Amino acid sequence: MIRFEKVTKTYPGHAHAALDQVSVDIEKGEFVFLVGSSGSGKSTFLRLVLREYRPTGGRVYVAGKEINRLASWKVPRLRRTIGTVFQDFRLLPNKTVTENVAFALQVIGRSRSEISSLVPETLELVGLDGKGDRMPDELSGGEQQRVAIARAFVNRPQILIADEPTGNLDPTTSVGIMKLLDRINRTGTTVVMATHDAGIVDQMRKRVIELEHGRVVRDQAQGVYGFQN
Amino acid sequence: MQLRYVFSELGQGLRRNLSMHLAVILTLFVSLTLVGLGILLNQQATKAADHWGSQLQITVYLCTERDSNPACTGEVTEAQRTAVLQVVEDNPEVADHFLISKEEAFEKVKELYGAERFEGPYPAATAEDMPEAVRIELKDPEKYEGIVSAVKGLDGVSKVGDMRTVIAPIIGSINTMKWAALGTAIFLVVAALLLVANTIRLAAFARRKEIGIMRLVGASTLYIALPFLLEALVTALIGVVLATGALAGFMYFGIMERATDRLKFVPWIGFSEYGVAVAAVAVLGPLLTVLPTLVLTRKYLKV
Repeated sequence: MIRFEKVTKTYPGHAHAALDQVSVDIEKGEFVFLVGSSGSGKSTFLRLVLREYRPTGGRVYVAGKEINRLASWKVPRLRRTIGTVFQDFRLLPNKTVTENVAFALQVIGRSRSEISSLVPETLELVGLDGKGDRMPDELSGGEQQRVAIARAFVNRPQILIADEPTGNLDPTTSVGIMKLLDRINRTGTTVVMATHDAGIVDQMRKRVIELEHGRVVRDQAQGVYGFQN
Repeated sequence: MQLRYVFSELGQGLRRNLSMHLAVILTLFVSLTLVGLGILLNQQATKAADHWGSQLQITVYLCTERDSNPACTGEVTEAQRTAVLQVVEDNPEVADHFLISKEEAFEKVKELYGAERFEGPYPAATAEDMPEAVRIELKDPEKYEGIVSAVKGLDGVSKVGDMRTVIAPIIGSINTMKWAALGTAIFLVVAALLLVANTIRLAAFARRKEIGIMRLVGASTLYIALPFLLEALVTALIGVVLATGALAGFMYFGIMERATDRLKFVPWIGFSEYGVAVAAVAVLGPLLTVLPTLVLTRKYLKV
């Protein structure tokens, strides 16, 4: 589903590569933790999957397409197969929960009838049924992140990318979010999650890819976060 | 494609940035009016020049029975006329010449001042009062002194009229107004372009959250840019409508009400010329807002 072949990414004006000869293969339906300290290259990895950047060297394949060669006008179509969740939720503050989730479908041209069936269904899946009319600032952090996950998943993407989704949440709320991501993973969606949260990684016992200075230093099938100093 | 979002954004965007949009509309309005005015004046100058014939013409008026020139001893004689024509024919500066009879001259005068003045028991003039004339077209409009001095002293020649001395100032002032209008328009067009650019920058900033999410979930670039393009189009159309109105006002109050009545000898522009100016303004207005929008949305909304 996602394949990196000796991928290097150097940002303009930087001497060191953000990613250095990274080769990784993520199968359809996998749940993968991307761990490593700040600046290790996790975000760059995710941004390459989204084709926010092109790699400096090597090849990136996402959902069967080679990102390097993908024309700019085809990028939106690629992104419709990927859902994305961030640490800071990124909800539209002037729209209700339902409108926030529906927005993702409206702007890619889905019909009104599709939207009116998909949105409540997805809100129920993430555990927000009955809260569709609330505004984001009336919700707790955990609930806001559920809205963001609903928005990312409402179009039923093949891949869900989560960049520190529990970074702003307390441990109990985080467990709930992880259960939700696990449930989404069980529907066959590939989940790639970048995180600093050792407790969560240890608990989930999923595949762990560890980056350090832009290199893969560990790729473990049922890993833990790593030894803390 | 579901366009509900696009139209709600359009309305919101127009309201949110009202002062900027007004600035764009007003600058567009004034610059388009000036461009239209320039086009109208250009057509006016062309029309005047066409009507009076090429400006290269020189007219040699021959003596009449009661001529104001004391050198004339009476009606030009057959021999004098032949001599004048011979001199004209032999001159190397002359491209072509033809004789205008009294009747032809009278017809022309009737056409210019209205036939009714020359009818009835007390006409303002008759064909007999008109001078015969030789119209000369020059090979090179700059070289006219030779033929003028060659003809001037001949017997039977009353005066030599150089059309340029009459027409040149009129056409010259029309041209000056034209260039003044177009020159001012250029500055205002630049101002309009900068205002459009600023408006887009502000709008892109105000919508950065929505735009970020749209890019993330895979909205097409066109879909993201559509509210911006429609805003540009709406402001352009308002500007065009205002400019069209102002030009209509100029046509009505400036040309039809005043000039056409007072300066009858000048052929004035009419509705077809107005149509040309409006068409040019209607094309230019949207171009001025939509083109920078296309360029800048590509820059600000890059995928």
